[in-house]
Amino acid sequence: MKITPILPLSIAAALLLNAAPSALAQTPAKEGTIAARTKAGVANWTTYNADLKGSRYSALDQINAGNFKDLEIAWRFKTDILGSRPEYKLESTPLAVDGVIYTTGGTRRAVVALNGATGELLWQYALHEGKRSAESPRALSGRGLSYWTDGTKRRILYVTIGYRLVSLDADTGRPDPDFGTNGVVDLKTDFDQDLGDLDTGEVGVHSAPAVSGNTIIIGAAFREGFTPKTSNNTKGYARAFDVRTGKRLWTFHTVPKKGEFGYETWLNNSAEINGNTGVWTQVSVDEDLGLAYLAVESPTSDFFGGKRPGPNLFGNSLVAVDLKTGERRWHFQLIHHEIWDLDNSSAPLLMDVTVDGKPRKVVGLPSKQGFFYVFDRATGQPVWPIKETKVAKGNVPGEWYSPTQPIPSKPPVYARNGVEDKDLIDFTPDLKAKAVALAGQYVLGPVYTPPIVSTPQKFGVINNWAQGGTNWPGGSFDPESGIAYVYACGACISSTGLLPPPAGLSDIPLVVGVAGQPVVMIKGPGEGAGADSPAPAAGGGGGGGPPRLAVDGLPLVKPPYGTISAIDVNSGTIKWQVAHGETPDFVRNHPAIKALGGIPRTGQSTYQIGTLVTKSVVIAGENQFTTTPDRPRGAMLRAYDKQTGAEVGAVYMPSTQSGSPMTYMVGGKQYIIVPTSGGNASGEFIAYALPNKR
Amino acid sequence: MRVVFALPIGLAVILAGVVSAGGALAQDAGKSVWQGVFTPDQATRGAAVYAQRCGACHGAALNGTGEAPALVGGEFVSHWDTMTLGDLFDRVRTTMPQNDPQSLTREEYADVLAFLLKNNGFPAGGQPLDRRSEVLATIGITAEKPANSGS
Repeated sequence: MKITPILPLSIAAALLLNAAPSALAQTPAKEGTIAARTKAGVANWTTYNADLKGSRYSALDQINAGNFKDLEIAWRFKTDILGSRPEYKLESTPLAVDGVIYTTGGTRRAVVALNGATGELLWQYALHEGKRSAESPRALSGRGLSYWTDGTKRRILYVTIGYRLVSLDADTGRPDPDFGTNGVVDLKTDFDQDLGDLDTGEVGVHSAPAVSGNTIIIGAAFREGFTPKTSNNTKGYARAFDVRTGKRLWTFHTVPKKGEFGYETWLNNSAEINGNTGVWTQVSVDEDLGLAYLAVESPTSDFFGGKRPGPNLFGNSLVAVDLKTGERRWHFQLIHHEIWDLDNSSAPLLMDVTVDGKPRKVVGLPSKQGFFYVFDRATGQPVWPIKETKVAKGNVPGEWYSPTQPIPSKPPVYARNGVEDKDLIDFTPDLKAKAVALAGQYVLGPVYTPPIVSTPQKFGVINNWAQGGTNWPGGSFDPESGIAYVYACGACISSTGLLPPPAGLSDIPLVVGVAGQPVVMIKGPGEGAGADSPAPAAGGGGGGGPPRLAVDGLPLVKPPYGTISAIDVNSGTIKWQVAHGETPDFVRNHPAIKALGGIPRTGQSTYQIGTLVTKSVVIAGENQFTTTPDRPRGAMLRAYDKQTGAEVGAVYMPSTQSGSPMTYMVGGKQYIIVPTSGGNASGEFIAYALPNKR
Repeated sequence: MRVVFALPIGLAVILAGVVSAGGALAQDAGKSVWQGVFTPDQATRGAAVYAQRCGACHGAALNGTGEAPALVGGEFVSHWDTMTLGDLFDRVRTTMPQNDPQSLTREEYADVLAFLLKNNGFPAGGQPLDRRSEVLATIGITAEKPANSGS
């Protein structure tokens, strides 16, 4: 038996890589990072959103309208081995610093450094947290990480699945011994509230830390709010830490404590018995004004607020706090007493524009409800009037309703924010009639139509709430023109009704449910899905139920199913809007559509799309697989003209975009990385560049 | 002998890694989901397993809840168009339930797959779905009903 020595060696190496048993696995350590680091021909992307203003903008233009179609895959990095099982929900935006790529990935939420020119693994770090990560409400790879340097020290900062803040040496991946305890700060402690057991205490976060100067700002996120066990879960305080030591600098009470401003907006002292109200999306920072902008989400629970009468500050507010002290400078509550799961989802966009001939420093906030809110970012004053407008009062027993909600006068609504008769499909009179008949079993209405108790006659309110409009990917903007580019889902519709929970499920009188079906616990994004998660308990389920929100297999609502809007923030107008995404196969190939001779591109129903803006173009990929006559199953990465929205190029992706693209340059070559996953394709970063030879 | 023995184990580990990575199975599909590839009994058994292990996230009516996608309707079928039942089977088998993958038997996974096919309007037939990924990989998923399909 003669064995060549090469084969066993390579297998052994592969096994070592796969096993990665140590929290400090070094592959192949410092030498690789140092070799990859360069200042030659580099352009960096050093924070999640390219900068702390939330722009997702790069001044690069090597890749442009003229050559976008020539892009080819330069390298790919698969994240399967970064956890105990592959991940199918890769949402991280990598960073690029001097030729090195840093990102989170995998079901372990490991951190890796890659060679930016080749995709080669330089080092990886992972914290194995056992039960604590298994219990996390926010598992999987997260949205990314952060970079900090003082010119000498270089650090990578991220939050683990188990809610620990870790500081790593950017060259070696080793924890910084001067930070926290051996490089780790336990975010479940020093929180101004007692979480009880640190393994099971409910809190986690997907977002990347915001790092400005020596200050790190960390938000908080919780379990899905459709069917919470209790209204009195953890409160989502925002905190800041010293980037060198990990010492806590300040805490902002998103649910005010007794005696603090806003406490009285929780009637009957209900601030004491309600939780959530975290900042789960990215935090933006104006380093000149010294302000951090917190887009705060809703209190518990998502669709019923009977245990928290009152407007509930700072629920669903945009809050500007002092970067150094955490003291509130101004706030604006976008939705009073939120009961639609229209929680603040997007990073605030800090834009310098010209309004009525005057230079203005503004903050814009995209939203699930299709409003683009614009404020003076020093004072919080709306740039255009935002009017308190009377809204419908519901009849859910025990609920408290705000009589009015703030509605921006400008810019116009950029995404479907209600579902009414006019929104139902009308490709043919027959389809429209069927849509109207189906909708008769539900309640339709404009934005802020209140939820209902589910009955066999009216199962719920058809809405574009939880996953509609703009979700966690947020928007982007061009600092040169003052135009914001924002993706929105127009057909992420569902029906929402309320039912009493069975004994033991929740202490909230009404949770999400459907008449005729058992009320069961609904799980959230990545909850119980991480590398350490145990077996589930047997769940509910059952037959029957209300009809699907489809007519002859077609979506109940009209296209566009997904759009990119160019919002001119100088004038408060929508400059253009395009349907983003190939028409789904089941629509394009539908007999009724074929009989019409086809329809214009519809876009796709998804909330996973983030945009990238460069000097030349707006770039976004597709989140759904399609198969068209001229190419096999896959998805397209598309580029649009910034002034007109005209598509100027598209390239094939073997998998679908599931995070937001970013761009950088190394060695004089521009790359675009797209985080992809979906269907049978597990997480993979795909880097595109122009061919070396053309 | 020791060396010989070590080699296949190492290879097996690597191969297992490849499969769990979701690599597409061979596309030599000779059959189609439109040809009655599961039995009504199998779909009924699958309904019971689904209710126990899948419904909490994907919804009793397969409509999806929260971030768990719908497993019924045009978008679901479009998503898997031109792939094979082997691809779908292994995706489910290696990743679902999300907090405890590979915790059902192959037969149970096949039953759940039959239940999904039934709910998406594909016809039942006389033969149950096989338990082997490689056999399921010979059955193509086509969203559009072929014009010459007998069923």
